Amino acid sequence: MARIVCAKCNIPLEKSKVTISYLGNSFPVDLLKCPQCNLVFIPEDLALGKMLQVEKALEDK
Amino acid sequence: MNNKQTESLCPHCFRKIPARIVPRGKKVYMEKTCPEHGSFRTILWRGEPAMNTWQRPKIPAPIHYPNTEVVKGCPYDCGICPEHRQHTCTALLEITLDCNIRCPVCFADGGRPGGDPSLDTIESWYQTLLDSGGPYNIQLSGGEPTLRDDLPDIITRGRRLGFDFIQVNTNGIRFYEEPNFLKSSIDAGLASLFLQFDGMTGDVYEKLRGADYLKIKLGLIELCAEMDLGVILVPTVVPGVNDHQLGDIIAFALKNMPTIRGVHFQPISYFGRYPSAPADSMRITLPEVMQKIENQTGGEIKTTNFAPPGCENSLCSFHGNFVLMPSDKLVPLTKRDAAACSCQEAQPAEEGAAAARRFVAQNWRRRSCCCGNETAGESKVSDSLDIFLERIKTHKFCLSAMAFQDVWNINLERLRDCCIHVVSPEGRRIPFCAYNLTNREGVPLYRV
Repeated sequence: MARIVCAKCNIPLEKSKVTISYLGNSFPVDLLKCPQCNLVFIPEDLALGKMLQVEKALEDK
Repeated sequence: MNNKQTESLCPHCFRKIPARIVPRGKKVYMEKTCPEHGSFRTILWRGEPAMNTWQRPKIPAPIHYPNTEVVKGCPYDCGICPEHRQHTCTALLEITLDCNIRCPVCFADGGRPGGDPSLDTIESWYQTLLDSGGPYNIQLSGGEPTLRDDLPDIITRGRRLGFDFIQVNTNGIRFYEEPNFLKSSIDAGLASLFLQFDGMTGDVYEKLRGADYLKIKLGLIELCAEMDLGVILVPTVVPGVNDHQLGDIIAFALKNMPTIRGVHFQPISYFGRYPSAPADSMRITLPEVMQKIENQTGGEIKTTNFAPPGCENSLCSFHGNFVLMPSDKLVPLTKRDAAACSCQEAQPAEEGAAAARRFVAQNWRRRSCCCGNETAGESKVSDSLDIFLERIKTHKFCLSAMAFQDVWNINLERLRDCCIHVVSPEGRRIPFCAYNLTNREGVPLYRV
Protein backbone atom coordinates (compact mmCIF):
# COMPACT_ATOMS: atom_id res chain seq x y z
CA MET A 1 0.00 0.00 0.00
CA ALA A 2 1.29 3.44 -0.94
CA ARG A 3 2.27 5.70 1.93
CA ILE A 4 -0.14 8.49 2.69
CA VAL A 5 1.46 11.75 3.64
CA CYS A 6 -0.03 14.58 5.67
CA ALA A 7 -0.50 17.51 3.27
CA LYS A 8 0.14 20.03 6.02
CA CYS A 9 3.16 18.47 7.80
CA ASN A 10 4.50 16.48 4.89
CA ILE A 11 5.17 13.40 7.03
CA PRO A 12 3.70 9.90 6.63
CA LEU A 13 0.49 9.07 8.49
CA GLU A 14 0.72 6.26 11.06
CA LYS A 15 -1.81 3.65 12.12
CA SER A 16 -3.29 4.73 15.43
CA LYS A 17 -6.26 4.10 17.73
CA VAL A 18 -8.83 6.82 17.14
CA THR A 19 -12.19 7.25 18.90
CA ILE A 20 -15.04 8.28 16.63
CA SER A 21 -18.09 9.75 18.38
CA TYR A 22 -21.57 10.19 17.02
CA LEU A 23 -24.73 11.16 18.88
CA GLY A 24 -23.17 10.34 22.24
CA ASN A 25 -21.71 6.97 21.25
CA SER A 26 -17.99 6.27 20.94
CA PHE A 27 -16.28 3.78 18.65
CA PRO A 28 -12.53 3.12 18.99
CA VAL A 29 -11.09 2.20 15.58
CA ASP A 30 -7.63 1.96 13.99
CA LEU A 31 -7.08 4.71 11.43
CA LEU A 32 -4.19 6.53 9.81
CA LYS A 33 -3.24 9.66 11.71
CA CYS A 34 -0.57 12.36 11.39
CA PRO A 35 1.76 11.97 14.39
CA GLN A 36 2.38 15.73 14.38
CA CYS A 37 -0.93 17.54 13.81
CA ASN A 38 -3.26 14.57 14.61
CA LEU A 39 -5.14 14.90 11.34
CA VAL A 40 -7.04 11.62 10.75
CA PHE A 41 -7.49 10.11 7.33
CA ILE A 42 -10.86 8.42 6.80
CA PRO A 43 -10.94 6.43 3.56
CA GLU A 44 -13.94 7.05 1.33
CA ASP A 45 -15.10 3.44 1.47
CA LEU A 46 -15.19 3.60 5.29
CA ALA A 47 -17.02 6.95 5.33
CA LEU A 48 -19.61 5.82 2.81
CA GLY A 49 -19.68 2.23 4.04
CA LYS A 50 -19.96 1.02 7.58
CA MET A 51 -19.51 4.47 9.13
CA LEU A 52 -22.61 5.63 7.27
CA GLN A 53 -24.46 2.46 8.31
CA VAL A 54 -23.65 3.14 11.97
CA GLU A 55 -24.76 6.77 11.62
CA LYS A 56 -28.07 5.70 10.12
CA ALA A 57 -28.62 3.13 12.88
CA LEU A 58 -28.00 5.78 15.53
CA GLU A 59 -30.38 8.17 13.81
CA ASP A 60 -33.26 5.75 14.44
CA LYS A 61 -36.51 7.59 15.07
CA MET B 1 -51.76 23.90 27.59
CA ASN B 2 -55.33 24.94 26.88
CA ASN B 3 -58.44 22.81 26.83
CA LYS B 4 -58.83 20.93 23.60
CA GLN B 5 -62.12 19.87 22.10
CA THR B 6 -62.63 16.43 20.67
CA GLU B 7 -65.37 13.81 20.42
CA SER B 8 -66.06 10.79 22.57
CA LEU B 9 -68.91 8.43 23.40
CA CYS B 10 -71.38 8.16 26.27
CA PRO B 11 -70.27 5.17 28.38
CA HIS B 12 -73.92 4.20 28.79
CA CYS B 13 -75.62 4.65 25.41
CA PHE B 14 -72.67 4.98 22.96
CA ARG B 15 -74.04 8.33 21.78
CA LYS B 16 -71.37 10.52 20.21
CA ILE B 17 -70.77 13.46 22.55
CA PRO B 18 -68.31 16.36 22.68
CA ALA B 19 -65.37 15.93 25.03
CA ARG B 20 -62.75 18.26 26.42
CA ILE B 21 -59.11 17.42 27.11
CA VAL B 22 -58.51 19.38 30.30
CA PRO B 23 -55.11 19.94 31.95
CA ARG B 24 -55.13 20.31 35.74
CA GLY B 25 -51.61 20.79 37.02
CA LYS B 26 -49.50 17.89 35.74
CA LYS B 27 -52.56 15.76 35.08
CA VAL B 28 -54.76 15.78 32.00
CA TYR B 29 -58.36 14.57 32.02
CA MET B 30 -61.11 13.87 29.55
CA GLU B 31 -64.38 15.51 30.58
CA LYS B 32 -67.64 14.80 28.77
CA THR B 33 -71.36 15.02 29.34
CA CYS B 34 -74.18 12.99 27.86
CA PRO B 35 -77.45 14.95 27.96
CA GLU B 36 -79.20 11.79 29.13
CA HIS B 37 -76.66 9.96 31.30
CA GLY B 38 -74.64 12.67 33.00
CA SER B 39 -71.01 13.78 33.22
CA PHE B 40 -67.84 11.70 33.17
CA ARG B 41 -64.24 12.55 33.93
CA THR B 42 -61.29 10.19 33.30
CA ILE B 43 -57.55 10.59 33.74
CA LEU B 44 -55.59 10.52 30.44
CA TRP B 45 -52.05 11.58 31.33
CA ARG B 46 -49.99 12.12 34.49
CA GLY B 47 -46.63 13.87 34.62
CA GLU B 48 -43.67 14.14 32.26
CA PRO B 49 -43.16 14.09 29.36
CA ALA B 50 -46.14 16.45 29.22
CA MET B 51 -48.99 15.54 26.90
CA ASN B 52 -48.67 18.74 24.85
CA THR B 53 -45.04 17.87 24.07
CA TRP B 54 -45.86 14.31 23.03
CA GLN B 55 -46.56 15.07 19.39
CA ARG B 56 -45.66 13.68 16.03
CA PRO B 57 -47.85 15.41 13.48
CA LYS B 58 -49.00 13.40 10.50
CA ILE B 59 -50.71 14.02 7.21
CA PRO B 60 -53.71 11.64 7.20
CA ALA B 61 -53.30 8.64 4.92
CA PRO B 62 -55.75 8.46 2.05
CA ILE B 63 -57.86 5.32 2.39
CA HIS B 64 -57.45 3.61 -0.97
CA TYR B 65 -59.61 0.61 -0.17
CA PRO B 66 -62.53 1.56 2.10
CA ASN B 67 -64.83 -1.38 2.89
CA THR B 68 -67.76 0.68 4.19
CA GLU B 69 -69.43 4.01 3.44
CA VAL B 70 -69.85 6.91 5.83
CA VAL B 71 -73.47 6.78 6.94
CA LYS B 72 -73.64 7.57 10.66
CA GLY B 73 -70.07 8.84 11.10
CA CYS B 74 -67.22 7.68 13.32
CA PRO B 75 -67.24 5.24 15.11
CA TYR B 76 -70.41 3.65 13.72
CA ASP B 77 -69.28 2.83 10.15
CA CYS B 78 -66.02 0.95 10.77
CA GLY B 79 -64.90 -1.39 8.09
CA ILE B 80 -62.73 0.75 7.48
CA CYS B 81 -64.55 3.82 6.17
CA PRO B 82 -63.20 6.55 3.86
CA GLU B 83 -62.89 8.99 6.78
CA HIS B 84 -60.35 6.80 8.58
CA ARG B 85 -56.89 8.36 8.59
CA GLN B 86 -54.44 5.48 8.73
CA HIS B 87 -53.76 2.27 6.87
CA THR B 88 -53.56 -1.17 8.39
CA CYS B 89 -50.21 -1.95 10.00
CA THR B 90 -51.19 -5.12 11.83
CA ALA B 91 -54.35 -7.10 11.08
CA LEU B 92 -55.70 -9.26 13.90
CA LEU B 93 -57.50 -12.44 13.00
CA GLU B 94 -59.52 -13.91 15.87
CA ILE B 95 -59.42 -17.58 14.96
CA THR B 96 -61.25 -18.81 18.07
CA LEU B 97 -63.07 -17.37 21.06
CA ASP B 98 -62.29 -20.45 23.13
CA CYS B 99 -59.67 -20.10 25.84
CA ASN B 100 -57.90 -22.37 28.33
CA ILE B 101 -57.69 -19.81 31.13
CA ARG B 102 -60.17 -17.37 32.59
CA CYS B 103 -58.56 -13.99 33.00
CA PRO B 104 -60.31 -11.31 35.02
CA VAL B 105 -58.93 -8.96 32.34
CA CYS B 106 -59.61 -9.92 28.72
CA PHE B 107 -60.11 -7.80 25.64
CA ALA B 108 -61.72 -10.53 23.70
CA ASP B 109 -64.30 -11.87 26.11
CA GLY B 110 -62.60 -15.23 25.62
CA GLY B 111 -63.74 -18.59 26.90
CA ARG B 112 -66.57 -19.27 24.48
CA PRO B 113 -65.99 -22.67 22.87
CA GLY B 114 -67.57 -23.58 19.56
CA GLY B 115 -68.30 -21.57 16.47
CA ASP B 116 -64.70 -21.21 15.32
CA PRO B 117 -64.33 -19.85 11.77
CA SER B 118 -63.46 -22.53 9.21
CA LEU B 119 -60.12 -22.65 7.42
CA ASP B 120 -61.88 -21.40 4.29
CA THR B 121 -63.37 -18.46 6.18
CA ILE B 122 -59.93 -17.54 7.50
CA GLU B 123 -58.53 -17.82 3.98
CA SER B 124 -61.26 -15.45 2.82
CA TRP B 125 -60.11 -12.97 5.52
CA TYR B 126 -56.56 -13.19 4.19
CA GLN B 127 -57.93 -12.57 0.70
CA THR B 128 -59.94 -9.55 1.92
CA LEU B 129 -56.74 -8.10 3.34
CA LEU B 130 -54.95 -8.65 0.05
CA ASP B 131 -57.84 -6.97 -1.76
CA SER B 132 -57.59 -4.05 0.67
CA GLY B 133 -53.97 -3.12 0.06
CA GLY B 134 -52.26 -6.01 1.87
CA PRO B 135 -50.31 -8.05 2.68
CA TYR B 136 -50.05 -6.64 6.19
CA ASN B 137 -48.45 -8.03 9.32
CA ILE B 138 -50.74 -10.66 10.78
CA GLN B 139 -51.45 -11.42 14.40
CA LEU B 140 -53.44 -14.58 15.02
CA SER B 141 -55.45 -13.95 18.14
CA GLY B 142 -58.50 -15.10 20.04
CA GLY B 143 -59.52 -16.34 22.60
CA GLU B 144 -56.43 -18.50 22.73
CA PRO B 145 -55.39 -19.24 19.13
CA THR B 146 -53.24 -22.25 20.05
CA LEU B 147 -56.39 -24.18 21.01
CA ARG B 148 -56.98 -24.76 17.31
CA ASP B 149 -55.35 -28.00 16.21
CA ASP B 150 -55.16 -26.62 12.66
CA LEU B 151 -53.09 -23.57 13.69
CA PRO B 152 -50.14 -24.71 11.51
CA ASP B 153 -52.53 -24.96 8.52
CA ILE B 154 -53.83 -21.45 9.22
CA ILE B 155 -50.24 -20.17 9.23
CA THR B 156 -49.38 -22.12 6.07
CA ARG B 157 -52.34 -20.66 4.18
CA GLY B 158 -51.35 -17.13 5.17
CA ARG B 159 -47.74 -17.65 4.16
CA ARG B 160 -48.79 -19.13 0.83
CA LEU B 161 -50.85 -16.01 0.12
CA GLY B 162 -47.82 -13.80 0.74
CA PHE B 163 -48.14 -12.79 4.40
CA ASP B 164 -44.50 -12.93 5.49
CA PHE B 165 -44.95 -11.92 9.11
CA ILE B 166 -47.42 -14.05 11.05
CA GLN B 167 -47.35 -13.81 14.82
CA VAL B 168 -49.42 -15.65 17.42
CA ASN B 169 -50.84 -13.76 20.41
CA THR B 170 -50.82 -16.41 23.13
CA ASN B 171 -50.76 -17.24 26.82
CA GLY B 172 -48.22 -19.92 25.85
CA ILE B 173 -49.66 -22.84 27.81
CA ARG B 174 -50.31 -25.24 24.94
CA PHE B 175 -47.04 -24.45 23.17
CA TYR B 176 -45.20 -25.20 26.43
CA GLU B 177 -47.07 -28.43 27.05
CA GLU B 178 -46.80 -29.61 23.43
CA PRO B 179 -43.39 -28.67 22.00
CA ASN B 180 -44.17 -30.64 18.83
CA PHE B 181 -47.16 -28.40 18.21
CA LEU B 182 -44.90 -25.37 18.59
CA LYS B 183 -42.42 -26.95 16.19
CA SER B 184 -45.17 -27.61 13.62
CA SER B 185 -46.26 -23.99 13.85
CA ILE B 186 -42.69 -22.78 13.33
CA ASP B 187 -42.25 -25.15 10.40
CA ALA B 188 -45.45 -23.72 8.93
CA GLY B 189 -43.90 -20.24 9.00
CA LEU B 190 -44.67 -18.74 12.42
CA ALA B 191 -42.39 -15.68 12.80
CA SER B 192 -42.80 -14.65 16.40
CA LEU B 193 -44.74 -15.06 19.64
CA PHE B 194 -46.64 -12.17 21.23
CA LEU B 195 -46.51 -13.74 24.67
CA GLN B 196 -48.72 -12.69 27.55
CA PHE B 197 -46.12 -12.13 30.29
CA ASP B 198 -47.26 -10.01 33.21
CA GLY B 199 -44.46 -10.24 35.74
CA MET B 200 -41.61 -12.06 37.40
CA THR B 201 -43.51 -13.49 40.40
CA GLY B 202 -46.33 -16.01 40.61
CA ASP B 203 -48.72 -13.77 42.53
CA VAL B 204 -49.00 -11.39 39.56
CA TYR B 205 -50.37 -14.23 37.42
CA GLU B 206 -52.69 -15.37 40.22
CA LYS B 207 -54.20 -11.90 40.36
CA LEU B 208 -54.40 -11.21 36.62
CA ARG B 209 -54.79 -14.68 35.13
CA GLY B 210 -56.32 -16.77 37.91
CA ALA B 211 -53.29 -19.07 38.54
CA ASP B 212 -49.48 -19.01 38.70
CA TYR B 213 -48.26 -19.49 35.13
CA LEU B 214 -44.72 -18.12 35.62
CA LYS B 215 -42.93 -21.49 35.27
CA ILE B 216 -44.84 -22.19 32.07
CA LYS B 217 -43.80 -18.85 30.57
CA LEU B 218 -40.15 -19.38 31.52
CA GLY B 219 -40.18 -22.92 30.17
CA LEU B 220 -41.72 -21.78 26.89
CA ILE B 221 -39.06 -19.09 26.42
CA GLU B 222 -36.39 -21.81 26.80
CA LEU B 223 -38.18 -23.86 24.15
CA CYS B 224 -38.31 -20.85 21.83
CA ALA B 225 -34.56 -20.36 22.32
CA GLU B 226 -33.97 -23.97 21.29
CA MET B 227 -36.26 -23.60 18.28
CA ASP B 228 -34.92 -20.17 17.24
CA LEU B 229 -38.26 -18.38 17.55
CA GLY B 230 -38.46 -14.69 18.48
CA VAL B 231 -40.62 -13.63 21.42
CA ILE B 232 -42.15 -10.29 22.39
CA LEU B 233 -43.14 -10.14 26.06
CA VAL B 234 -46.53 -8.48 26.56
CA PRO B 235 -47.31 -7.41 30.12
CA THR B 236 -50.69 -5.92 30.94
CA VAL B 237 -49.70 -3.22 33.44
CA VAL B 238 -52.05 -2.81 36.39
CA PRO B 239 -51.42 -0.28 39.17
CA GLY B 240 -50.61 -1.98 42.46
CA VAL B 241 -50.31 -5.42 40.85
CA ASN B 242 -47.24 -5.40 38.61
CA ASP B 243 -46.27 -1.79 37.96
CA HIS B 244 -43.32 -2.28 40.34
CA GLN B 245 -41.93 -5.09 38.15
CA LEU B 246 -41.36 -3.25 34.84
CA GLY B 247 -37.61 -3.04 35.45
CA ASP B 248 -37.41 -6.73 36.42
CA ILE B 249 -39.29 -7.73 33.26
CA ILE B 250 -36.90 -5.65 31.12
CA ALA B 251 -33.85 -7.14 32.90
CA PHE B 252 -35.21 -10.65 32.26
CA ALA B 253 -35.85 -9.79 28.60
CA LEU B 254 -32.31 -8.47 28.11
CA LYS B 255 -30.88 -11.59 29.73
CA ASN B 256 -32.82 -13.71 27.27
CA MET B 257 -31.91 -11.88 24.09
CA PRO B 258 -31.84 -12.55 21.22
CA THR B 259 -34.77 -14.96 21.74
CA ILE B 260 -36.69 -12.17 23.43
CA ARG B 261 -36.85 -9.32 20.94
CA GLY B 262 -38.57 -6.77 23.12
CA VAL B 263 -41.24 -5.90 25.64
CA HIS B 264 -44.58 -4.35 24.70
CA PHE B 265 -46.36 -2.95 27.77
CA GLN B 266 -50.12 -2.54 27.70
CA PRO B 267 -51.52 -0.28 30.45
CA ILE B 268 -54.82 -1.80 31.55
CA SER B 269 -58.01 -0.56 29.93
CA TYR B 270 -61.51 -1.46 31.03
CA PHE B 271 -63.79 -3.53 28.84
CA GLY B 272 -66.83 -5.46 30.04
CA ARG B 273 -69.38 -4.59 32.68
CA TYR B 274 -68.56 -1.66 34.98
CA PRO B 275 -71.69 -0.20 36.57
CA SER B 276 -69.60 2.74 37.77
CA ALA B 277 -66.56 4.26 36.11
CA PRO B 278 -63.20 2.65 37.00
CA ALA B 279 -61.41 4.93 39.48
CA ASP B 280 -58.49 6.96 38.18
CA SER B 281 -56.29 5.09 40.69
CA MET B 282 -57.00 1.93 38.64
CA ARG B 283 -55.28 3.44 35.60
CA ILE B 284 -51.65 3.95 34.67
CA THR B 285 -50.84 6.38 31.84
CA LEU B 286 -48.04 6.28 29.25
CA PRO B 287 -45.75 8.89 30.91
CA GLU B 288 -46.04 6.99 34.19
CA VAL B 289 -44.93 3.79 32.46
CA MET B 290 -41.93 5.68 31.01
CA GLN B 291 -41.06 7.15 34.41
CA LYS B 292 -41.32 3.77 36.13
CA ILE B 293 -39.07 2.21 33.49
CA GLU B 294 -36.48 4.92 34.14
CA ASN B 295 -36.71 4.51 37.93
CA GLN B 296 -36.76 0.72 37.92
CA THR B 297 -33.81 0.37 35.53
CA GLY B 298 -31.72 2.71 37.70
CA GLY B 299 -31.70 5.27 34.90
CA GLU B 300 -30.12 2.89 32.38
CA ILE B 301 -33.20 3.53 30.25
CA LYS B 302 -34.46 7.10 30.33
CA THR B 303 -37.75 8.68 29.33
CA THR B 304 -35.74 10.64 26.74
CA ASN B 305 -34.96 7.31 25.04
CA PHE B 306 -38.62 7.04 24.04
CA ALA B 307 -40.45 8.73 21.17
CA PRO B 308 -44.05 9.00 19.97
CA PRO B 309 -45.08 6.72 17.11
CA GLY B 310 -44.80 7.50 13.41
CA CYS B 311 -47.75 5.22 12.59
CA GLU B 312 -50.67 5.53 15.03
CA ASN B 313 -51.80 8.64 16.92
CA SER B 314 -49.02 10.14 19.07
CA LEU B 315 -51.08 9.70 22.25
CA CYS B 316 -51.54 5.96 21.67
CA SER B 317 -48.01 4.74 22.29
CA PHE B 318 -44.31 5.19 22.91
CA HIS B 319 -41.36 3.20 21.68
CA GLY B 320 -37.60 3.08 22.13
CA ASN B 321 -35.04 0.94 20.36
CA PHE B 322 -31.72 -0.14 21.78
CA VAL B 323 -28.75 -2.33 20.96
CA LEU B 324 -27.41 -4.71 23.59
CA MET B 325 -23.64 -4.78 23.15
CA PRO B 326 -21.41 -7.79 24.02
CA SER B 327 -20.36 -5.90 27.17
CA ASP B 328 -24.07 -5.85 28.22
CA LYS B 329 -24.13 -2.10 27.64
CA LEU B 330 -27.47 -0.96 26.29
CA VAL B 331 -27.02 1.66 23.56
CA PRO B 332 -30.15 3.76 22.96
CA LEU B 333 -31.03 4.38 19.32
CA THR B 334 -34.22 6.39 19.67
CA LYS B 335 -34.09 10.05 20.63
CA ARG B 336 -37.24 11.86 21.56
CA ASP B 337 -36.03 15.25 20.42
CA ALA B 338 -35.54 13.97 16.91
CA ALA B 339 -38.99 12.47 16.66
CA ALA B 340 -41.20 14.48 18.99
CA CYS B 341 -41.29 18.16 18.31
CA SER B 342 -44.39 20.23 17.90
CA CYS B 343 -42.54 22.47 15.44
CA GLN B 344 -41.58 19.67 13.09
CA GLU B 345 -43.16 19.20 9.73
CA ALA B 346 -46.03 16.75 9.50
CA GLN B 347 -45.02 13.46 7.92
CA PRO B 348 -47.35 11.39 5.76
CA ALA B 349 -49.11 8.82 7.97
CA GLU B 350 -49.03 6.40 5.03
CA GLU B 351 -45.21 6.33 5.17
CA GLY B 352 -45.35 5.85 8.95
CA ALA B 353 -47.58 2.79 8.56
CA ALA B 354 -45.26 1.26 5.96
CA ALA B 355 -42.21 1.92 8.16
CA ALA B 356 -43.90 0.42 11.22
CA ARG B 357 -44.86 -2.71 9.24
CA ARG B 358 -41.28 -3.13 8.05
CA PHE B 359 -39.86 -2.51 11.52
CA VAL B 360 -42.05 -5.13 13.22
CA ALA B 361 -41.50 -7.69 10.48
CA GLN B 362 -37.72 -7.24 10.70
CA ASN B 363 -37.21 -6.87 14.41
CA TRP B 364 -39.90 -8.88 16.18
CA ARG B 365 -38.57 -12.12 14.72
CA ARG B 366 -35.30 -13.69 15.77
CA ARG B 367 -32.45 -12.91 13.44
CA SER B 368 -29.39 -15.11 13.75
CA CYS B 369 -26.06 -13.60 12.81
CA CYS B 370 -24.65 -14.30 9.37
CA CYS B 371 -22.90 -17.53 10.32
CA GLY B 372 -25.60 -18.82 12.65
CA ASN B 373 -23.20 -18.73 15.58
CA GLU B 374 -22.86 -15.54 17.57
CA THR B 375 -19.40 -16.11 19.07
CA ALA B 376 -17.97 -17.26 15.79
CA GLY B 377 -19.55 -14.20 14.19
CA GLU B 378 -17.78 -11.87 16.59
CA SER B 379 -14.41 -13.46 15.91
CA LYS B 380 -14.72 -12.33 12.30
CA VAL B 381 -15.31 -8.67 13.10
CA SER B 382 -12.42 -6.28 12.90
CA ASP B 383 -13.36 -3.21 14.93
CA SER B 384 -16.01 -1.59 17.10
CA LEU B 385 -18.02 -0.39 14.09
CA ASP B 386 -18.29 -3.98 12.84
CA ILE B 387 -19.33 -5.22 16.27
CA PHE B 388 -22.00 -2.52 16.50
CA LEU B 389 -23.35 -3.30 13.04
CA GLU B 390 -23.41 -7.02 13.79
CA ARG B 391 -25.24 -6.47 17.07
CA ILE B 392 -27.81 -4.21 15.36
CA LYS B 393 -28.77 -7.23 13.28
CA THR B 394 -29.01 -9.73 16.12
CA HIS B 395 -29.47 -7.79 19.37
CA LYS B 396 -31.77 -4.87 18.66
CA PHE B 397 -34.11 -4.55 21.65
CA CYS B 398 -37.54 -2.97 21.19
CA LEU B 399 -39.36 -1.43 24.14
CA SER B 400 -42.83 -0.05 23.58
CA ALA B 401 -46.20 0.54 25.19
CA MET B 402 -49.65 1.02 23.76
CA ALA B 403 -52.56 2.61 25.61
CA PHE B 404 -55.81 1.11 24.40
CA GLN B 405 -58.95 3.19 24.73
CA ASP B 406 -62.10 2.12 26.53
CA VAL B 407 -65.53 3.70 26.63
CA TRP B 408 -64.52 6.00 29.49
CA ASN B 409 -61.58 7.66 27.75
CA ILE B 410 -62.12 7.07 24.03
CA ASN B 411 -61.07 9.98 21.83
CA LEU B 412 -62.50 9.57 18.33
CA GLU B 413 -59.65 11.61 16.88
CA ARG B 414 -57.23 8.95 18.11
CA LEU B 415 -59.51 6.19 16.90
CA ARG B 416 -59.44 7.53 13.34
CA ASP B 417 -55.63 7.25 13.40
CA CYS B 418 -55.67 3.59 14.47
CA CYS B 419 -53.50 1.15 12.47
CA ILE B 420 -54.30 -2.08 14.31
CA HIS B 421 -57.37 -3.52 12.72
CA VAL B 422 -59.35 -6.57 13.73
CA VAL B 423 -60.89 -8.50 10.87
CA SER B 424 -64.52 -9.04 11.87
CA PRO B 425 -66.31 -12.34 11.11
CA GLU B 426 -67.81 -10.79 7.96
CA GLY B 427 -64.38 -9.59 6.82
CA ARG B 428 -64.49 -5.90 7.75
CA ARG B 429 -61.42 -4.18 9.21
CA ILE B 430 -62.36 -2.58 12.51
CA PRO B 431 -59.93 -0.46 14.57
CA PHE B 432 -58.87 -2.45 17.63
CA CYS B 433 -60.35 -0.12 20.24
CA ALA B 434 -63.66 0.18 18.39
CA TYR B 435 -63.89 -3.59 18.03
CA ASN B 436 -63.32 -4.24 21.72
CA LEU B 437 -65.40 -1.32 22.97
CA THR B 438 -68.17 -2.15 25.44
CA ASN B 439 -70.51 0.17 27.30
CA ARG B 440 -70.72 0.07 31.07
CA GLU B 441 -73.24 -2.74 30.93
CA GLY B 442 -70.70 -4.78 28.98
CA VAL B 443 -72.63 -4.51 25.70
CA PRO B 444 -70.22 -4.36 22.72
CA LEU B 445 -70.37 -1.76 19.96
CA TYR B 446 -69.08 -4.23 17.33
CA ARG B 447 -68.06 -7.58 18.75
CA VAL B 448 -70.71 -10.25 18.21
